[in-house]
Amino acid sequence: MARRQPPARSGLPDRRLEGIIGRMPYIVRRPAIPSGPRASLWPRPLARLDPRAQHRLRLLLGYASAVAGVALASGCIGVILRFVRFSNISLLYLLVVLWLAAVFGRGPAIAASILSFVAYDFFFIPPLHRLTIGNPTEWLSLTALLATSLVLGQLTAAAQARARDAVESEQRTATLHALSQLIVAEMDHEALLPALAARMVDVFSAAGIGACSIILADEHGQPVERALVPARDPFAWALSLTARERFAEAAWALQHGSAAGRVVPAPEDEPIATDERVVLYVPLRSARGVVGVLGIAGTSRIRALVAGLSAARTLGVPGTPVGSPTDPQVVLFAAFCYQIALALDHIELQQRAIHTEALRESDRLKTALLGSVTHDLRTPLASIQAAAGSLLDETIEWSAADRRAFAETIETSAERLSRLVSNLLDLSRLEAGVAVPDKRWYPFGDIIATVLDRLDLAGRTTGRQIDVALPEDLPLALLDHAQMEQVLTNLIENAIKYSPPESAITVRARVVEPPRELEVRVSDQGIGIPAGELNAIFDKFYRVEHVDLPWDSGRPPTGTGLGLAICRGIVEAHGGRIWAESAPGRGSTFIFRLPLPDSEPRVTLPPIGAEPAQGPASPAELTGASR
Amino acid sequence: MTSESGMTSPPDAGAGLPADDGAEPVPAGSPSSGARVLVIDDEPEMQRAIRTYLAGLRFSIEGALTGGEGMALVARWHPDIVILDLSLPDMDGLEVCRQLRAWSQVPIIVLSVRSGDADKVAALELGADDYLTKPFSSRELVARVRVALRHAARGAGAGGTDARFETGALVIDFGLRRVTVDGKPVHVTPTEYEVLKYLAMNVGRVITHRTLLQAVWGPHYETEDHYLHVFIGQLRRKIEPNPSRPHYLLTEPGIGYRLRAPD
Repeated sequence: MARRQPPARSGLPDRRLEGIIGRMPYIVRRPAIPSGPRASLWPRPLARLDPRAQHRLRLLLGYASAVAGVALASGCIGVILRFVRFSNISLLYLLVVLWLAAVFGRGPAIAASILSFVAYDFFFIPPLHRLTIGNPTEWLSLTALLATSLVLGQLTAAAQARARDAVESEQRTATLHALSQLIVAEMDHEALLPALAARMVDVFSAAGIGACSIILADEHGQPVERALVPARDPFAWALSLTARERFAEAAWALQHGSAAGRVVPAPEDEPIATDERVVLYVPLRSARGVVGVLGIAGTSRIRALVAGLSAARTLGVPGTPVGSPTDPQVVLFAAFCYQIALALDHIELQQRAIHTEALRESDRLKTALLGSVTHDLRTPLASIQAAAGSLLDETIEWSAADRRAFAETIETSAERLSRLVSNLLDLSRLEAGVAVPDKRWYPFGDIIATVLDRLDLAGRTTGRQIDVALPEDLPLALLDHAQMEQVLTNLIENAIKYSPPESAITVRARVVEPPRELEVRVSDQGIGIPAGELNAIFDKFYRVEHVDLPWDSGRPPTGTGLGLAICRGIVEAHGGRIWAESAPGRGSTFIFRLPLPDSEPRVTLPPIGAEPAQGPASPAELTGASR
Repeated sequence: MTSESGMTSPPDAGAGLPADDGAEPVPAGSPSSGARVLVIDDEPEMQRAIRTYLAGLRFSIEGALTGGEGMALVARWHPDIVILDLSLPDMDGLEVCRQLRAWSQVPIIVLSVRSGDADKVAALELGADDYLTKPFSSRELVARVRVALRHAARGAGAGGTDARFETGALVIDFGLRRVTVDGKPVHVTPTEYEVLKYLAMNVGRVITHRTLLQAVWGPHYETEDHYLHVFIGQLRRKIEPNPSRPHYLLTEPGIGYRLRAPD
């Protein structure tokens, strides 16, 4: 996503400024409260100093440069005058003044103006090496020089300051913009909070912030830390809520809506820090009130940042906030806090919306479920009642064929009812999480054989060809045999139902990796499933609609619509997954995979007679297997 | 079909149980006709259903609604087979099983609602011969009753002196310690032979994993089910015409194994 990068920790090189005055090694600082992430171009040791010291150093450097510049210019002028007589050679000093105004500001510029005035007078205006001026016209040019350099110096300095302000302002806007975009883009709030904390540290590291945490209230109103960045920074430990005082401060901030914090001693094993360490918990406010707390830890300069927040009483930190609320950095910090508060609002509302939607969906499903279940239960019951009632009706003489028909109706309907009840119970138990698989090591081949035997016995496979393909060395799988039998039964019954009687059904199993899984495929050559429904078929009560079985014009396929939902529930309860592949008209394949843990037991039972003569040895020892 | 001897009288009831008087002589001949079936189940509907179906096949049926009543009837009426529901009002069905086995070898088929393998395994290890899960079809019930009766007849008559066991194309010659399928000898290891032999001597009965492990490998082997699965798989590859659809060595899922009884 194309967006302007906010200032990184090392500071954004100020290209605009450099463009204006050429490649300047240092960035000008306004001689007020130091602001912004500018320190990057300072040599590192200098960057660590308190901005006041930096400021003083710069001024010193400025004045020194003024002297040096004037001296240099004087030297140049002296050399040039030897060869060529320029009357306006004093303009060289203007260059020095301009340069100083651009880089070091007003003070050095003024100093340079005066110095150049004196120098020119002293070195180049007769009488030489004297401060007096012989020729009155020289006064004029000297005064002109002074006036010009003063004015130009001021103008340049002022223009510089405005340019810098504009750039800083633009940068702050860009920073805020990037922050908003981050909030909007990051849908996952678990990732958003750490990202916000990281952004906070990035942007305000020059202001002294070393670590940042975001703290929310749990259901009892107690603070819970939800993000801490950077996790391993030495400052971060200071923020940890596990310390009782931190917890109390955070709770206070949460409750009272005011910043709280204190000076924190550095840990003993850390190399001597030059600055004391301060921890502050700043309340985050949105329209809803206090929605969270921002924890910041850093040097004592961070106290300045909270000056911009309303009702900023900083509890526990000695001295009132040193910042002024109009400092752009403070304003930026306040804006950041507000944005984070809004993000928290956004998250809360989003979660409420999701919850409401889930409730609505759940209600809708329940209604559909009830409707479906009622119908499916009543229909076979009605058939049974009708058939039994007829049989018992003594006023009618039923033929043997009639009686047989009634009895068959009762048997079929009872079976249907039985299956529906079983399925419903299974599905309810799966959904309630009660159907925890009782996993044991089991050969999947046995499951296939059991299911096919059962289906044979129930007469469902008469006339159907079912091929089984298993590798001989198929390892044991960790599964609940009863549940897996159910899955396979459902899949094979579906295959039988939705494919022509003369077509073959295949059951295959094999090991796939990585990761190591048991894959089972049940394929048929039936009517297939449209691509758009490959997912929906696993939903509860999903029934195929308007399906014609080309080979059986009579009855539409019947079913509870729960079979595949149960399959999915069971397979997923085993940690696996199930899906379908199909080409309409050519057949379908249902595939599921179960995880195969590597700890499959090495299997050997010793030949009998190999038991040790003494005492009960553990069989696991004998076979050297691990459980 | 192997020859079937007539039913011998059950041993004398232990102390405290009513003496055996008034019992009718058991008719000789096929154990499926006129055999006595005792149904111990507290649900009258289940009683009626089983009765109606089995009576139609000329079994002779008695019913008991409680465990105590059931045990008394076993002592007094000497059924040829007991169908026992595991959930009874007065005592645990497993307890009935255990107590019956203390003094009677009557075949027992237990009925249970599907609730996992544990109670079925327990019943089988206490001496039950087979199990049925409710709801079951009448066809299943009759099939298992017939198998259990045949096994009882065989056990009572053979006394372990039968030198040969045959089921389908599988023949085990105990005298020669030889296994053949379709007349062709199959090489089995001594361990595999012992497994086959144990299952053959208990043909038709469901043998739990633990029972098989302990019977063949010894008392220290109890829970190595997974080893057993692989072992049986290897054995199947030797004797089954289609190892992936076993015909002789049948799995009772989650419970154990059994050898298919001859038809």
